[in-house]
Parts: sequence; C-alpha cells; structure tokens
Amino acid sequence: MMSRTEEDFELELRSLQGVLNVGLTYLDNGDVDVVTLVVNTKDPSITQNVASQIASLYYPEAKVIVDGTSHLLSLQRQPGSRVAFVRADYDAKEGTCEVQLTIDGRVGIGRAGSGPLIGGAEATLGALRDLGYDVPFSLLTVTNVTNGRDWPVVVTLRSNANNGDRFGIAKADDDMVSAAKATLDSLNRFIATSNER
Amino acid sequence: MSDAESEFADGLYEPWLFQTMLAELSKRELGVGFIYSILDQFAKRHELTDVVASLSHESFGNQIFRLGGESVSAEMAVRFAGEPGVYCEPDIVPAVECDAVRTACQLAFSLHHARFSATHDPLTNISNRRSFDEALEMSAARSARYNWTFTVVIVDLNDFKLVNDRSGHEFGDNVLRQFGFALRQAVRQGDTAARIGGDEFAVILSNAEGHEASGFTERLRGLLASSNVRVEFTTGTATSPRDSTDPSELLRIADGRLYEKKGMRNS
Repeated sequence: MMSRTEEDFELELRSLQGVLNVGLTYLDNGDVDVVTLVVNTKDPSITQNVASQIASLYYPEAKVIVDGTSHLLSLQRQPGSRVAFVRADYDAKEGTCEVQLTIDGRVGIGRAGSGPLIGGAEATLGALRDLGYDVPFSLLTVTNVTNGRDWPVVVTLRSNANNGDRFGIAKADDDMVSAAKATLDSLNRFIATSNER
Repeated sequence: MSDAESEFADGLYEPWLFQTMLAELSKRELGVGFIYSILDQFAKRHELTDVVASLSHESFGNQIFRLGGESVSAEMAVRFAGEPGVYCEPDIVPAVECDAVRTACQLAFSLHHARFSATHDPLTNISNRRSFDEALEMSAARSARYNWTFTVVIVDLNDFKLVNDRSGHEFGDNVLRQFGFALRQAVRQGDTAARIGGDEFAVILSNAEGHEASGFTERLRGLLASSNVRVEFTTGTATSPRDSTDPSELLRIADGRLYEKKGMRNS
C-alpha cells in the first residue's frame, strides 16, 4: 500500500506542466530508486530540473529520467473534429439552462429546465441532438460529489439499447458547466465513433 | 429478488467496485494510491496482464496511470493521452465496467488534488496559511498542556519587491519557488514550513529553543547559496512556552522581532 508521502510525491510530480505519466521503481528497502516521467513539453530539461528538486526532498538518492513525447505527437495524424463546449447560461429566475456546443463550425443549442445540475446535463444532450447526433442514451443521475460548490459532478447515462450505463465526471467553475462537461465526458467514446450526424 | 437486487446481481452497478471503494475509505482517503489499488483488483478480477487508465484533470491535463505504478513508453503515452478511458490487455472487459472504473479513479484523483491544494501553497508546494495556522494552534495547545518547547520563525525576503520590479513576476515566482524548495530541505522531519504571505514564510521548529533557530537559518543560507538563489532574508522568532503559549501572541512577538531587525538593517 502506498504511503501518504508517496502519494503526495507522485501528485506533486504529476502537477508539473506537461507530465503525462509517472513511473516509480523501488529499492529493496522500499525507497524510490528511479522516477520515470513521460512529458509533453517543448523543453523536457526544465521538467527534469524541477522533478529532480522535488525528488531530492522526498528520496534524495532517487534518479530522475524524463522521456519526451513532443517528437511523437508531431508525427501523429491530425485528430478528427471534436465536439467542443462553447458556453452555458443559467436563468435563475426561470431555472432553465442553455448549453451551446460546436463541431466543424456548426453550433448546436440545447435548453432544459430542472436547475443547473440536471438542466445542464439535459441541455447538453439537447445540444448534441441539435447538432444531428442520434444520442441513444437517457439521463439517469447527476450528482455533485459533496453537495457543495465547485466539486466534481458525476453524470450517469443509461443506454436505450442494452441498459448499460456510462459515467462522466468533470469539475468546472459552476455546477451547470460541470454537468455539461461531465455529460460530454460520459459520451466521449460514443461521440468519437458516431457517424450519425 | 427485488429489481434493485437483480440489477446489482447483473453487475450494472459493479458491486465489487463499491466494496473496493468502501474498503479503501475505511483505511484512508481516496487518492493516487486508490487508483493503483483499484487497477490491481480490476486486473486480478479479469486476469488482465496490463491495465492503463487515462484520466483528464482540469489543472493537470491528461494523466496516465498504469498497473503497478509502472511507467509507460512515450509511444504508449501518445496513444492513450488523447482519449480518457480504461484500456486493458487482453481487451475482454465490457466497456460499462471500464467506464465505471475510470470514473472511480477520476474521482479519487480529483479528491486527492482538492485535499492537497486546500492545505498547500500552489507555487511552492509547502503548507499554506490555513494549514500553518492549524499546525501552530496544535503545537501551542501541546506546549501549554505538556510544557513542550517549540519555536516559530517568520522569514521575510529582503527587497523582494525590487526583484519583481526589475526582473518581472515570472522571475520573482521562480525565486519564491526555489526559496520554497530550500525551506523544505532546511527543516527537519516533523517541522512545518509554510508560505503565509506574498514573500513571507513561517516555520514551526518542534522541540527547539529560540537559539536553536540559528541552525535552521544557517542551513537555509547554505542551501540558497548552493542553488544560486540570490535572495537575502530576515527572521524573527518566538518560543513557546517561554514567550507565550497563545498562537496569535507568538506570531505578534516573532513579527515584532523581525521588524526590529529589519529596522536595524535599513538604518
């Protein structure tokens, strides 16, 4: 089981700009032997310096290796068009949400009542349908993790075809945007492979 | 069997996942360790040879976790970084279960980050003011009750405004970050180092009398010199229980001594 110190060490490394992955190997006495970082930055040497400093605080003997991906990313094919979130507005008086999404220069707008959480998710499904997607899912739950402000929102959608559930999670400045982004998150695989538009 | 029970039995709600989360929560809070633990149990459950979870985080961007905390190759990172999900080898697990595992991992990651950022200063990654105040209260209460000694040191960077004005805020931020690193190295295990203002830091030295703070300042000066951080600082100290056992009073005394030294320096 990882100790709290190890967890914080890894979190601190992951918070460095451009870090995609952290790998740790251990000595027999449990100390960290080698830290391997995979980074996507123009200059991995900056990450190497800062990561070495962080490692020296936790495990002074650990070696730090940084592997860059920027040369590989430039060889990748251009990603296909993606649905992007544009904006969301909430009318507190009416309790209605309006969500705007875009893809390939086209804009889809969805509206729904039921407050910022459920409304944000339903309006997002509406905006996707407005863009021409046949979305074979219905909204099951929208939950703010702590019932507080600015915490992640989890959206569950249920497939109309097989009752399978999809989950999405997002955290934004407010609940409605979190709900909209969590809805998109839950549908990311569906949207990426859907030709129905 | 009720409908709800049959849904559980069908695995729609992944009862093993909830059991895993509950078991983890009984031991500690959800965080990076939970992600590895869940990947491990997921792999055992389906006899998988490899599992990679690709998560996205608002502050960090995409993040990849691999079974056993192993590193991934750059090629693999590029493959997985674009699309959040759980990828397993062999690819035999229903997408529904992969999605549920990813959501649980994502939640643990968000919670760990929220906890960490609530108690740490984002620039230097040392404790923030709130966390320092809590540590000080705890130390003061212990000192009043058991007569334990500790010293508060307030550290103020000299002429830091000039650094910002002459070299820009980016350079200034870097100086603060380096100073934070040096401060973390200079304190002993069990001490608390915190950034309590723009260019003001504070340290709680456990089991230390006032004169022992000089050892800490010497270490800090040495570390700054070896890391080529050209910044001077002034300190003010207060010791409990000798000076006071009240946290606010200790800070006031340490602050007063700091400004006394600063006044002497300026004159």
